[in-house]
Amino acid sequence: MTRYIATLGRATLDTLSTIGRAGLFLIQSIFCLPSREGFHLWLRQMHFVGVMSVAIVLVSGLFIGMVLALQGFTILVSFGADEALGQMVALSLVRELAPVVAALLFAGRAGSALTAEIGLMKATEQLTSMEMIGVDPLRRIVAPRFWAGFISLPILTVLFGVVGIWGGYLVGVDWLGVYKGSYWSNMQDSVDFVDDVLNGVIKSLVFGLVVTWIAVFQGYDLVPTSEGISRATTRTVVYASLAVLGLDFVLTALMFGDLG
Amino acid sequence: MDDPIMVEVKDLHFSRGNTDIFRGVDLQIPLGKITAIMGPSGTGKTTLLKLIGGQLVPDRGQVLIDGQDVHQLPRRSLFTLRRRMGMLFQSGALFSDLDVFENVAFPLRVHTELPNAMIRDIVLMKLQAVGLRGARHLMPSELSGGMARRVALARAVALDPELVLYDEPFVGQDPISMGVLVQLVKKVNQALGLTAVMVSHDIKETLSIADYVYIIADGRVMAHGTPQTLNVNDDAHVKQFVHGEPDGPVPFHYPAPDFFDDILAPAGQFS
Ligand SMILES: Nc1ncnc2c1ncn2[C@@H]1O[C@H](COP(=O)(O)OP(=O)(O)OP(=O)(O)O)[C@@H](O)[C@H]1O
Ligand SMILES: [Mg+2]
Repeated sequence: MTRYIATLGRATLDTLSTIGRAGLFLIQSIFCLPSREGFHLWLRQMHFVGVMSVAIVLVSGLFIGMVLALQGFTILVSFGADEALGQMVALSLVRELAPVVAALLFAGRAGSALTAEIGLMKATEQLTSMEMIGVDPLRRIVAPRFWAGFISLPILTVLFGVVGIWGGYLVGVDWLGVYKGSYWSNMQDSVDFVDDVLNGVIKSLVFGLVVTWIAVFQGYDLVPTSEGISRATTRTVVYASLAVLGLDFVLTALMFGDLG
Repeated sequence: MDDPIMVEVKDLHFSRGNTDIFRGVDLQIPLGKITAIMGPSGTGKTTLLKLIGGQLVPDRGQVLIDGQDVHQLPRRSLFTLRRRMGMLFQSGALFSDLDVFENVAFPLRVHTELPNAMIRDIVLMKLQAVGLRGARHLMPSELSGGMARRVALARAVALDPELVLYDEPFVGQDPISMGVLVQLVKKVNQALGLTAVMVSHDIKETLSIADYVYIIADGRVMAHGTPQTLNVNDDAHVKQFVHGEPDGPVPFHYPAPDFFDDILAPAGQFS
Protein backbone atom coordinates (compact mmCIF):
# COMPACT_ATOMS: atom_id res chain seq x y z
CA MET A 1 0.00 0.00 0.00
CA THR A 2 2.69 2.48 1.00
CA ARG A 3 4.63 1.44 -2.07
CA TYR A 4 1.60 2.18 -4.18
CA ILE A 5 1.27 5.64 -2.68
CA ALA A 6 5.00 6.26 -3.11
CA THR A 7 4.82 5.24 -6.76
CA LEU A 8 1.83 7.48 -7.29
CA GLY A 9 3.61 10.35 -5.59
CA ARG A 10 6.72 9.90 -7.67
CA ALA A 11 4.72 9.73 -10.88
CA THR A 12 2.91 12.94 -9.93
CA LEU A 13 6.16 14.71 -9.14
CA ASP A 14 7.73 13.49 -12.39
CA THR A 15 4.76 14.70 -14.38
CA LEU A 16 4.77 18.08 -12.65
CA SER A 17 8.47 18.58 -13.21
CA THR A 18 8.12 17.61 -16.87
CA ILE A 19 5.34 20.13 -17.30
CA GLY A 20 7.48 22.75 -15.57
CA ARG A 21 10.44 22.03 -17.81
CA ALA A 22 8.22 22.07 -20.88
CA GLY A 23 6.85 25.46 -19.88
CA LEU A 24 10.28 26.97 -19.32
CA PHE A 25 11.41 25.43 -22.57
CA LEU A 26 8.53 27.05 -24.45
CA ILE A 27 9.21 30.46 -22.96
CA GLN A 28 12.94 30.27 -23.60
CA SER A 29 12.57 29.18 -27.18
CA ILE A 30 9.75 31.34 -28.52
CA PHE A 31 10.88 34.70 -27.28
CA CYS A 32 13.82 35.42 -29.45
CA LEU A 33 14.42 38.48 -31.50
CA PRO A 34 13.76 38.03 -35.19
CA SER A 35 16.87 38.38 -37.30
CA ARG A 36 17.72 37.91 -40.95
CA GLU A 37 19.49 34.65 -40.09
CA GLY A 38 16.54 33.48 -38.04
CA PHE A 39 14.23 34.29 -40.92
CA HIS A 40 16.20 32.03 -43.26
CA LEU A 41 16.17 29.20 -40.75
CA TRP A 42 12.45 29.67 -40.29
CA LEU A 43 11.86 29.64 -44.04
CA ARG A 44 13.74 26.36 -44.36
CA GLN A 45 11.59 24.82 -41.67
CA MET A 46 8.42 26.19 -43.27
CA HIS A 47 9.45 24.07 -46.22
CA PHE A 48 10.09 20.89 -44.22
CA VAL A 49 7.21 21.25 -41.81
CA GLY A 50 4.61 23.04 -43.89
CA VAL A 51 5.13 22.58 -47.60
CA MET A 52 5.97 18.90 -47.27
CA SER A 53 2.68 18.32 -45.43
CA VAL A 54 0.57 19.93 -48.16
CA ALA A 55 0.09 16.77 -50.23
CA ILE A 56 -1.24 14.61 -47.40
CA VAL A 57 -3.53 17.42 -46.25
CA LEU A 58 -4.95 18.01 -49.74
CA VAL A 59 -5.64 14.34 -50.40
CA SER A 60 -7.25 13.80 -46.99
CA GLY A 61 -9.30 16.97 -47.30
CA LEU A 62 -10.60 15.93 -50.69
CA PHE A 63 -11.69 12.49 -49.51
CA ILE A 64 -13.28 13.77 -46.32
CA GLY A 65 -15.27 16.36 -48.27
CA MET A 66 -16.43 13.69 -50.70
CA VAL A 67 -17.47 11.28 -47.94
CA LEU A 68 -19.30 14.07 -46.11
CA ALA A 69 -21.30 14.91 -49.20
CA LEU A 70 -22.15 11.27 -49.80
CA GLN A 71 -23.29 10.61 -46.23
CA GLY A 72 -24.99 13.98 -45.90
CA PHE A 73 -26.92 13.55 -49.14
CA THR A 74 -28.44 10.19 -48.13
CA ILE A 75 -29.69 11.71 -44.88
CA LEU A 76 -30.81 15.10 -46.23
CA VAL A 77 -32.59 13.70 -49.26
CA SER A 78 -34.95 11.71 -47.03
CA PHE A 79 -36.17 15.04 -45.60
CA GLY A 80 -36.21 16.56 -49.05
CA ALA A 81 -33.57 18.98 -47.86
CA ASP A 82 -30.77 18.13 -50.24
CA GLU A 83 -30.21 21.83 -51.11
CA ALA A 84 -28.78 22.17 -47.60
CA LEU A 85 -25.88 19.89 -48.55
CA GLY A 86 -23.51 22.80 -49.10
CA GLN A 87 -24.29 24.18 -45.67
CA MET A 88 -23.77 20.82 -44.00
CA VAL A 89 -20.46 20.10 -45.70
CA ALA A 90 -19.08 23.57 -45.10
CA LEU A 91 -20.10 23.83 -41.45
CA SER A 92 -18.76 20.43 -40.47
CA LEU A 93 -15.50 21.13 -42.24
CA VAL A 94 -14.95 24.69 -41.06
CA ARG A 95 -16.00 24.17 -37.45
CA GLU A 96 -14.64 20.70 -36.70
CA LEU A 97 -13.15 18.45 -39.29
CA ALA A 98 -10.63 20.74 -40.93
CA PRO A 99 -8.95 21.93 -37.69
CA VAL A 100 -9.05 18.53 -36.00
CA VAL A 101 -8.14 16.20 -38.85
CA ALA A 102 -5.47 18.54 -40.21
CA ALA A 103 -3.94 18.72 -36.72
CA LEU A 104 -3.98 14.94 -36.35
CA LEU A 105 -2.35 14.48 -39.75
CA PHE A 106 0.15 17.20 -38.88
CA ALA A 107 1.07 15.46 -35.64
CA GLY A 108 1.72 12.23 -37.52
CA ARG A 109 3.52 13.73 -40.47
CA ALA A 110 5.44 16.75 -39.14
CA GLY A 111 5.36 16.27 -35.35
CA SER A 112 6.99 12.85 -35.41
CA ALA A 113 9.62 14.08 -37.87
CA LEU A 114 10.46 17.06 -35.64
CA THR A 115 10.87 14.85 -32.59
CA ALA A 116 13.06 12.33 -34.38
CA GLU A 117 15.22 15.01 -35.98
CA ILE A 118 15.88 16.96 -32.79
CA GLY A 119 16.31 13.71 -30.87
CA LEU A 120 18.94 12.42 -33.25
CA MET A 121 20.78 15.72 -33.02
CA LYS A 122 20.79 15.31 -29.27
CA ALA A 123 21.93 11.68 -29.42
CA THR A 124 24.87 12.56 -31.69
CA GLU A 125 25.89 15.44 -29.40
CA GLN A 126 25.15 18.03 -32.08
CA LEU A 127 23.08 20.05 -29.63
CA THR A 128 25.84 19.91 -27.03
CA SER A 129 28.51 20.90 -29.50
CA MET A 130 26.36 23.79 -30.65
CA GLU A 131 26.07 24.92 -27.04
CA MET A 132 29.84 24.73 -26.71
CA ILE A 133 30.26 26.88 -29.79
CA GLY A 134 28.24 29.43 -27.89
CA VAL A 135 25.04 29.12 -29.90
CA ASP A 136 21.85 28.39 -28.00
CA PRO A 137 20.12 25.43 -29.67
CA LEU A 138 16.83 26.68 -28.30
CA ARG A 139 17.15 29.68 -30.57
CA ARG A 140 18.87 28.09 -33.49
CA ILE A 141 17.20 24.67 -33.70
CA VAL A 142 14.01 24.79 -31.67
CA ALA A 143 12.64 28.30 -32.27
CA PRO A 144 12.52 28.17 -36.11
CA ARG A 145 10.87 24.75 -36.00
CA PHE A 146 8.40 25.89 -33.42
CA TRP A 147 7.34 28.98 -35.34
CA ALA A 148 7.17 27.04 -38.59
CA GLY A 149 4.78 24.53 -37.06
CA PHE A 150 2.69 27.17 -35.33
CA ILE A 151 2.23 29.15 -38.52
CA SER A 152 1.86 26.36 -41.04
CA LEU A 153 -0.92 24.40 -39.34
CA PRO A 154 -3.55 27.18 -39.73
CA ILE A 155 -2.59 27.50 -43.39
CA LEU A 156 -2.85 23.75 -43.87
CA THR A 157 -6.21 23.83 -42.13
CA VAL A 158 -7.54 26.44 -44.54
CA LEU A 159 -6.31 24.35 -47.47
CA PHE A 160 -7.99 21.30 -45.99
CA GLY A 161 -11.29 23.13 -45.69
CA VAL A 162 -11.18 24.57 -49.21
CA VAL A 163 -10.34 21.24 -50.82
CA GLY A 164 -12.96 19.49 -48.68
CA ILE A 165 -15.69 21.87 -49.84
CA TRP A 166 -14.60 21.30 -53.41
CA GLY A 167 -14.69 17.52 -52.85
CA GLY A 168 -18.22 17.88 -51.49
CA TYR A 169 -19.14 19.84 -54.61
CA LEU A 170 -17.74 17.12 -56.89
CA VAL A 171 -19.80 14.42 -55.22
CA GLY A 172 -22.91 16.45 -54.37
CA VAL A 173 -23.35 18.53 -57.50
CA ASP A 174 -21.50 16.71 -60.28
CA TRP A 175 -22.37 13.21 -59.25
CA LEU A 176 -25.54 13.21 -57.13
CA GLY A 177 -27.17 16.09 -58.96
CA VAL A 178 -27.75 18.68 -56.23
CA TYR A 179 -28.52 22.04 -57.86
CA LYS A 180 -25.29 23.98 -58.17
CA GLY A 181 -26.73 27.35 -57.17
CA SER A 182 -28.27 26.04 -53.97
CA TYR A 183 -25.02 24.28 -52.95
CA TRP A 184 -23.17 27.60 -52.96
CA SER A 185 -25.89 29.99 -51.83
CA ASN A 186 -26.93 27.83 -48.90
CA MET A 187 -23.31 27.73 -47.86
CA GLN A 188 -22.90 31.50 -48.14
CA ASP A 189 -26.04 32.18 -46.15
CA SER A 190 -25.23 29.88 -43.28
CA VAL A 191 -21.50 30.13 -42.75
CA ASP A 192 -20.67 33.13 -40.62
CA PHE A 193 -17.20 34.57 -40.96
CA VAL A 194 -16.61 35.35 -37.30
CA ASP A 195 -18.58 32.54 -35.67
CA ASP A 196 -17.44 29.77 -37.94
CA VAL A 197 -14.38 30.59 -40.03
CA LEU A 198 -12.57 32.64 -37.43
CA ASN A 199 -13.32 30.16 -34.67
CA GLY A 200 -12.00 27.35 -36.85
CA VAL A 201 -8.80 29.28 -37.44
CA ILE A 202 -8.44 30.00 -33.73
CA LYS A 203 -8.79 26.28 -33.05
CA SER A 204 -6.06 25.50 -35.55
CA LEU A 205 -3.78 28.13 -34.01
CA VAL A 206 -4.20 26.48 -30.61
CA PHE A 207 -3.63 23.02 -32.09
CA GLY A 208 -0.57 24.28 -33.98
CA LEU A 209 0.90 25.63 -30.75
CA VAL A 210 0.23 22.47 -28.77
CA VAL A 211 1.27 19.91 -31.38
CA THR A 212 4.51 21.68 -32.25
CA TRP A 213 5.29 22.33 -28.61
CA ILE A 214 4.85 18.66 -27.73
CA ALA A 215 6.91 17.58 -30.75
CA VAL A 216 9.93 19.82 -30.19
CA PHE A 217 9.90 19.32 -26.44
CA GLN A 218 9.77 15.52 -26.75
CA GLY A 219 12.73 15.70 -29.11
CA TYR A 220 14.73 18.02 -26.87
CA ASP A 221 13.98 16.18 -23.65
CA LEU A 222 14.36 12.56 -24.73
CA VAL A 223 16.85 9.98 -23.51
CA PRO A 224 19.56 10.10 -26.18
CA THR A 225 19.50 6.50 -27.36
CA SER A 226 17.83 4.81 -30.32
CA GLU A 227 15.20 3.39 -28.00
CA GLY A 228 14.66 6.81 -26.44
CA ILE A 229 14.12 8.35 -29.86
CA SER A 230 11.57 5.76 -30.91
CA ARG A 231 9.67 6.13 -27.66
CA ALA A 232 9.65 9.89 -27.85
CA THR A 233 8.41 9.81 -31.43
CA THR A 234 5.53 7.57 -30.41
CA ARG A 235 4.80 9.81 -27.43
CA THR A 236 4.65 12.85 -29.67
CA VAL A 237 1.96 11.31 -31.86
CA VAL A 238 -0.05 9.92 -28.95
CA TYR A 239 0.11 12.99 -26.69
CA ALA A 240 -0.44 15.41 -29.55
CA SER A 241 -3.46 13.51 -30.85
CA LEU A 242 -5.03 13.23 -27.41
CA ALA A 243 -4.33 16.89 -26.70
CA VAL A 244 -5.95 17.92 -29.98
CA LEU A 245 -9.09 15.87 -29.35
CA GLY A 246 -9.40 17.01 -25.74
CA LEU A 247 -8.78 20.67 -26.52
CA ASP A 248 -11.22 20.49 -29.39
CA PHE A 249 -13.97 19.58 -26.98
CA VAL A 250 -13.05 22.40 -24.62
CA LEU A 251 -12.79 24.96 -27.40
CA THR A 252 -16.02 23.81 -29.00
CA ALA A 253 -17.81 24.13 -25.68
CA LEU A 254 -16.43 27.67 -25.25
CA MET A 255 -17.16 28.80 -28.80
CA PHE A 256 -20.41 27.08 -29.72
CA GLY A 257 -21.72 25.98 -26.35
CA ASP A 258 -24.20 28.84 -26.06
CA LEU A 259 -25.42 28.76 -29.65
CA GLY A 260 -28.22 26.27 -29.20
CA MET B 1 53.53 26.54 -11.06
CA ASP B 2 53.87 30.26 -11.18
CA ASP B 3 52.04 30.84 -14.45
CA PRO B 4 48.77 32.76 -14.39
CA ILE B 5 45.77 30.43 -14.12
CA MET B 6 43.15 30.17 -16.86
CA VAL B 7 40.92 27.49 -15.38
CA GLU B 8 40.70 26.57 -11.75
CA VAL B 9 38.73 23.58 -10.51
CA LYS B 10 38.13 23.58 -6.77
CA ASP B 11 36.94 20.65 -4.69
CA LEU B 12 34.76 19.25 -7.46
CA HIS B 13 32.20 16.60 -6.55
CA PHE B 14 30.01 14.96 -9.14
CA SER B 15 27.95 11.81 -9.18
CA ARG B 16 25.75 10.01 -11.66
CA GLY B 17 22.98 8.02 -10.06
CA ASN B 18 24.65 6.24 -7.17
CA THR B 19 28.17 6.30 -8.58
CA ASP B 20 30.49 9.00 -7.41
CA ILE B 21 32.55 10.07 -10.37
CA PHE B 22 34.49 12.86 -8.67
CA ARG B 23 35.20 13.09 -4.98
CA GLY B 24 37.05 16.33 -4.55
CA VAL B 25 39.11 17.18 -7.61
CA ASP B 26 41.38 20.22 -7.61
CA LEU B 27 43.05 21.31 -10.83
CA GLN B 28 44.78 24.38 -12.11
CA ILE B 29 45.13 24.89 -15.83
CA PRO B 30 47.87 27.43 -16.55
CA LEU B 31 47.31 30.13 -19.16
CA GLY B 32 48.86 29.54 -22.56
CA LYS B 33 50.05 26.02 -21.80
CA ILE B 34 48.99 22.54 -22.85
CA THR B 35 47.64 20.62 -19.90
CA ALA B 36 47.02 16.93 -20.37
CA ILE B 37 44.46 14.96 -18.41
CA MET B 38 45.02 11.25 -18.31
CA GLY B 39 43.47 8.36 -16.52
CA PRO B 40 41.93 4.96 -17.02
CA SER B 41 38.94 4.64 -19.34
CA GLY B 42 35.70 5.46 -17.54
CA THR B 43 37.21 7.60 -14.77
CA GLY B 44 35.39 10.68 -15.97
CA LYS B 45 37.73 12.62 -18.19
CA THR B 46 34.99 13.45 -20.67
CA THR B 47 32.76 14.29 -17.73
CA LEU B 48 35.42 16.67 -16.41
CA LEU B 49 35.59 18.52 -19.74
CA LYS B 50 31.80 18.81 -19.77
CA LEU B 51 31.89 20.21 -16.24
CA ILE B 52 34.49 22.76 -17.31
CA GLY B 53 32.36 23.71 -20.33
CA GLY B 54 29.30 24.18 -18.12
CA GLN B 55 27.39 21.32 -19.74
CA LEU B 56 27.04 19.48 -16.46
CA VAL B 57 26.53 20.97 -13.03
CA PRO B 58 28.65 19.66 -10.14
CA ASP B 59 27.16 18.51 -6.85
CA ARG B 60 29.72 20.55 -4.98
CA GLY B 61 32.74 22.68 -5.80
CA GLN B 62 33.52 25.29 -8.39
CA VAL B 63 34.97 25.73 -11.84
CA LEU B 64 36.47 29.16 -12.40
CA ILE B 65 37.38 30.23 -15.90
CA ASP B 66 39.25 33.49 -15.97
CA GLY B 67 37.85 34.15 -12.51
CA GLN B 68 34.19 33.54 -13.44
CA ASP B 69 32.32 30.70 -11.78
CA VAL B 70 30.97 28.78 -14.78
CA HIS B 71 28.06 27.25 -12.96
CA GLN B 72 26.83 30.49 -11.39
CA LEU B 73 26.68 32.40 -14.66
CA PRO B 74 23.28 33.20 -16.15
CA ARG B 75 22.54 31.37 -19.39
CA ARG B 76 23.31 34.40 -21.56
CA SER B 77 26.73 35.04 -20.01
CA LEU B 78 27.59 31.36 -20.15
CA PHE B 79 27.05 31.40 -23.91
CA THR B 80 29.18 34.53 -24.21
CA LEU B 81 31.94 32.82 -22.25
CA ARG B 82 31.71 29.77 -24.48
CA ARG B 83 32.50 31.86 -27.54
CA ARG B 84 36.00 32.11 -26.13
CA MET B 85 36.24 28.33 -25.87
CA GLY B 86 36.52 25.57 -28.42
CA MET B 87 35.73 21.96 -27.72
CA LEU B 88 36.59 18.86 -29.66
CA PHE B 89 34.07 16.17 -28.82
CA GLN B 90 35.05 12.56 -28.44
CA SER B 91 32.41 11.69 -31.02
CA GLY B 92 33.22 14.59 -33.35
CA ALA B 93 29.61 15.85 -33.19
CA LEU B 94 29.64 17.48 -36.63
CA PHE B 95 26.37 19.02 -37.78
CA SER B 96 24.91 16.38 -40.04
CA ASP B 97 22.96 18.83 -42.22
CA LEU B 98 26.02 20.92 -43.12
CA ASP B 99 28.96 19.88 -45.29
CA VAL B 100 32.58 19.94 -44.10
CA PHE B 101 33.15 23.52 -45.21
CA GLU B 102 30.02 24.84 -43.54
CA ASN B 103 30.74 22.91 -40.36
CA VAL B 104 34.05 24.70 -39.97
CA ALA B 105 32.52 27.99 -41.09
CA PHE B 106 29.67 27.71 -38.58
CA PRO B 107 31.34 29.40 -35.59
CA LEU B 108 32.64 32.16 -37.86
CA ARG B 109 29.25 32.79 -39.40
CA VAL B 110 27.39 32.96 -36.10
CA HIS B 111 29.91 34.96 -34.11
CA THR B 112 31.59 37.27 -36.59
CA GLU B 113 30.50 39.71 -39.25
CA LEU B 114 33.35 38.73 -41.56
CA PRO B 115 32.71 38.94 -45.29
CA ASN B 116 32.26 35.64 -47.11
CA ALA B 117 35.60 35.83 -48.88
CA MET B 118 37.42 36.10 -45.59
CA ILE B 119 35.44 33.29 -44.01
CA ARG B 120 36.37 31.15 -47.00
CA ASP B 121 40.06 31.91 -46.55
CA ILE B 122 39.98 31.10 -42.85
CA VAL B 123 38.06 27.86 -43.34
CA LEU B 124 40.38 26.69 -46.11
CA MET B 125 43.38 27.50 -43.93
CA LYS B 126 41.99 25.46 -41.05
CA LEU B 127 41.07 22.57 -43.35
CA GLN B 128 44.50 22.69 -44.97
CA ALA B 129 46.06 22.37 -41.53
CA VAL B 130 44.20 19.12 -40.88
CA GLY B 131 44.79 17.89 -44.43
CA LEU B 132 41.17 17.95 -45.55
CA ARG B 133 40.95 20.98 -47.82
CA GLY B 134 40.01 18.61 -50.64
CA ALA B 135 37.16 17.10 -48.63
CA ARG B 136 35.35 20.38 -48.11
CA HIS B 137 32.26 19.39 -50.12
CA LEU B 138 31.70 16.07 -48.37
CA MET B 139 28.87 15.60 -45.90
CA PRO B 140 29.73 14.30 -42.40
CA SER B 141 28.10 10.96 -43.23
CA GLU B 142 30.65 10.51 -46.03
CA LEU B 143 33.69 10.88 -43.77
CA SER B 144 35.66 8.18 -41.99
CA GLY B 145 35.89 8.36 -38.21
CA GLY B 146 39.39 9.81 -38.27
CA MET B 147 38.49 12.37 -40.93
CA ALA B 148 35.40 13.48 -38.99
CA ARG B 149 37.54 14.04 -35.94
CA ARG B 150 39.98 16.15 -37.91
CA VAL B 151 37.14 18.29 -39.26
CA ALA B 152 35.86 18.65 -35.70
CA LEU B 153 39.35 19.75 -34.68
CA ALA B 154 39.38 22.39 -37.43
CA ARG B 155 35.96 23.58 -36.25
CA ALA B 156 37.08 23.72 -32.61
CA VAL B 157 39.88 26.16 -33.45
CA ALA B 158 38.04 28.06 -36.21
CA LEU B 159 37.47 31.11 -34.02
CA ASP B 160 40.99 30.99 -32.57
CA PRO B 161 39.56 30.51 -29.07
CA GLU B 162 41.45 31.32 -25.90
CA LEU B 163 40.73 27.94 -24.38
CA VAL B 164 40.43 24.67 -26.27
CA LEU B 165 39.24 21.44 -24.74
CA TYR B 166 40.34 18.43 -26.75
CA ASP B 167 38.68 15.10 -25.96
CA GLU B 168 40.98 12.45 -27.38
CA PRO B 169 42.13 14.28 -30.50
CA PHE B 170 44.40 11.49 -31.72
CA VAL B 171 42.06 8.52 -31.58
CA GLY B 172 41.54 6.71 -34.86
CA GLN B 173 44.39 8.42 -36.70
CA ASP B 174 47.02 6.61 -38.72
CA PRO B 175 50.63 7.25 -37.65
CA ILE B 176 51.10 10.00 -40.24
CA SER B 177 48.02 12.06 -39.38
CA MET B 178 48.69 11.41 -35.72
CA GLY B 179 52.12 13.01 -36.06
CA VAL B 180 50.62 15.92 -37.99
CA LEU B 181 47.88 16.46 -35.42
CA VAL B 182 50.28 16.35 -32.50
CA GLN B 183 52.34 19.06 -34.18
CA LEU B 184 49.16 20.98 -35.00
CA VAL B 185 47.99 21.04 -31.40
CA LYS B 186 51.44 22.19 -30.36
CA LYS B 187 51.58 24.80 -33.12
CA VAL B 188 48.21 26.46 -32.45
CA ASN B 189 49.12 26.56 -28.82
CA GLN B 190 52.44 28.27 -29.46
CA ALA B 191 51.41 30.54 -32.31
CA LEU B 192 48.22 31.83 -30.73
CA GLY B 193 49.19 31.40 -27.13
CA LEU B 194 45.94 29.62 -26.41
CA THR B 195 45.34 27.43 -23.42
CA ALA B 196 44.70 23.80 -24.17
CA VAL B 197 43.25 21.03 -22.05
CA MET B 198 43.82 17.70 -23.68
CA VAL B 199 42.41 14.33 -22.73
CA SER B 200 44.38 11.57 -24.34
CA HIS B 201 45.40 7.96 -23.97
CA ASP B 202 48.39 8.26 -26.25
CA ILE B 203 50.99 8.58 -23.56
CA LYS B 204 54.07 9.07 -25.67
CA GLU B 205 52.50 11.76 -27.87
CA THR B 206 50.83 13.46 -24.95
CA LEU B 207 53.93 13.60 -22.82
CA SER B 208 55.86 14.95 -25.78
CA ILE B 209 53.74 18.08 -26.14
CA ALA B 210 52.12 18.62 -22.75
CA ASP B 211 53.52 21.22 -20.38
CA TYR B 212 51.72 19.77 -17.42
CA VAL B 213 49.91 16.52 -16.73
CA TYR B 214 47.16 15.50 -14.35
CA ILE B 215 46.40 11.83 -13.83
CA ILE B 216 42.90 11.18 -12.56
CA ALA B 217 41.77 7.90 -11.04
CA ASP B 218 39.15 6.89 -8.50
CA GLY B 219 37.48 10.28 -8.51
CA ARG B 220 40.62 12.10 -7.44
CA VAL B 221 43.75 13.59 -8.86
CA MET B 222 46.19 10.74 -8.41
CA ALA B 223 49.29 12.54 -9.52
CA HIS B 224 50.31 15.68 -11.32
CA GLY B 225 53.46 17.27 -12.57
CA THR B 226 55.46 18.03 -15.64
CA PRO B 227 56.08 15.12 -18.03
CA GLN B 228 59.68 14.89 -16.76
CA THR B 229 58.71 14.53 -13.14
CA LEU B 230 55.99 11.98 -13.94
CA ASN B 231 58.38 9.87 -15.98
CA VAL B 232 60.59 9.41 -12.98
CA ASN B 233 57.75 9.18 -10.45
CA ASP B 234 58.14 6.14 -8.22
CA ASP B 235 54.51 5.70 -7.21
CA ALA B 236 53.26 2.31 -8.34
CA HIS B 237 50.03 3.72 -9.80
CA VAL B 238 51.78 6.40 -11.80
CA LYS B 239 54.43 4.02 -13.03
CA GLN B 240 51.89 1.53 -14.20
CA PHE B 241 49.94 4.19 -16.04
CA VAL B 242 52.82 6.07 -17.60
CA HIS B 243 54.47 2.88 -18.79
CA GLY B 244 51.23 1.15 -19.75
CA GLU B 245 51.63 -2.04 -17.76
CA PRO B 246 48.61 -4.34 -17.50
CA ASP B 247 49.40 -5.53 -13.97
CA GLY B 248 49.53 -3.15 -11.08
CA PRO B 249 47.35 -1.27 -8.65
CA VAL B 250 45.20 0.45 -11.31
CA PRO B 251 42.36 -1.91 -12.20
CA PHE B 252 41.60 -2.59 -15.86
CA HIS B 253 38.08 -3.81 -15.01
CA TYR B 254 34.93 -1.89 -14.21
CA PRO B 255 34.10 -2.81 -10.57
CA ALA B 256 32.56 -6.30 -10.60
CA PRO B 257 32.16 -9.33 -8.36
CA ASP B 258 34.88 -11.93 -8.43
CA PHE B 259 35.31 -13.37 -11.93
CA PHE B 260 35.18 -17.03 -10.88
CA ASP B 261 32.16 -16.53 -8.64
CA ASP B 262 30.44 -14.83 -11.54
CA ILE B 263 31.26 -17.58 -14.05
CA LEU B 264 30.39 -20.39 -11.65
CA ALA B 265 27.19 -18.80 -10.31
CA PRO B 266 24.46 -21.46 -10.20
CA ALA B 267 21.69 -21.01 -12.74
CA GLY B 268 18.89 -18.83 -11.40
CA GLN B 269 21.30 -16.60 -9.51
CA PHE B 270 22.43 -14.58 -12.49
CA SER B 271 22.34 -10.89 -11.84
N1 LIG C 1 25.06 9.89 -19.66
C1 LIG C 1 25.54 9.12 -18.67
N2 LIG C 1 24.69 8.59 -17.77
C2 LIG C 1 25.14 7.84 -16.75
N3 LIG C 1 26.43 7.55 -16.54
C3 LIG C 1 27.32 8.04 -17.41
C4 LIG C 1 26.93 8.86 -18.52
N4 LIG C 1 28.03 9.21 -19.20
C5 LIG C 1 29.06 8.64 -18.55
N5 LIG C 1 28.66 7.94 -17.47
C6 LIG C 1 29.52 7.22 -16.50
O1 LIG C 1 30.45 8.16 -16.03
C7 LIG C 1 31.73 7.58 -15.94
C8 LIG C 1 32.74 8.49 -16.60
O2 LIG C 1 32.46 8.60 -17.98
P1 LIG C 1 33.40 9.44 -18.96
O3 LIG C 1 32.78 9.39 -20.30
O4 LIG C 1 33.64 10.76 -18.37
O5 LIG C 1 34.74 8.58 -18.93
P2 LIG C 1 36.11 8.86 -19.66
O6 LIG C 1 37.12 9.04 -18.59
O7 LIG C 1 35.96 9.96 -20.65
O8 LIG C 1 36.37 7.49 -20.39
P3 LIG C 1 37.04 7.22 -21.83
O9 LIG C 1 38.49 7.37 -21.63
O10 LIG C 1 36.69 5.79 -22.10
O11 LIG C 1 36.44 8.17 -22.79
C9 LIG C 1 31.64 6.22 -16.58
O12 LIG C 1 31.80 5.26 -15.55
C10 LIG C 1 30.27 6.10 -17.17
O13 LIG C 1 29.72 4.85 -16.85
MG1 LIG D 1 35.89 10.07 -22.67
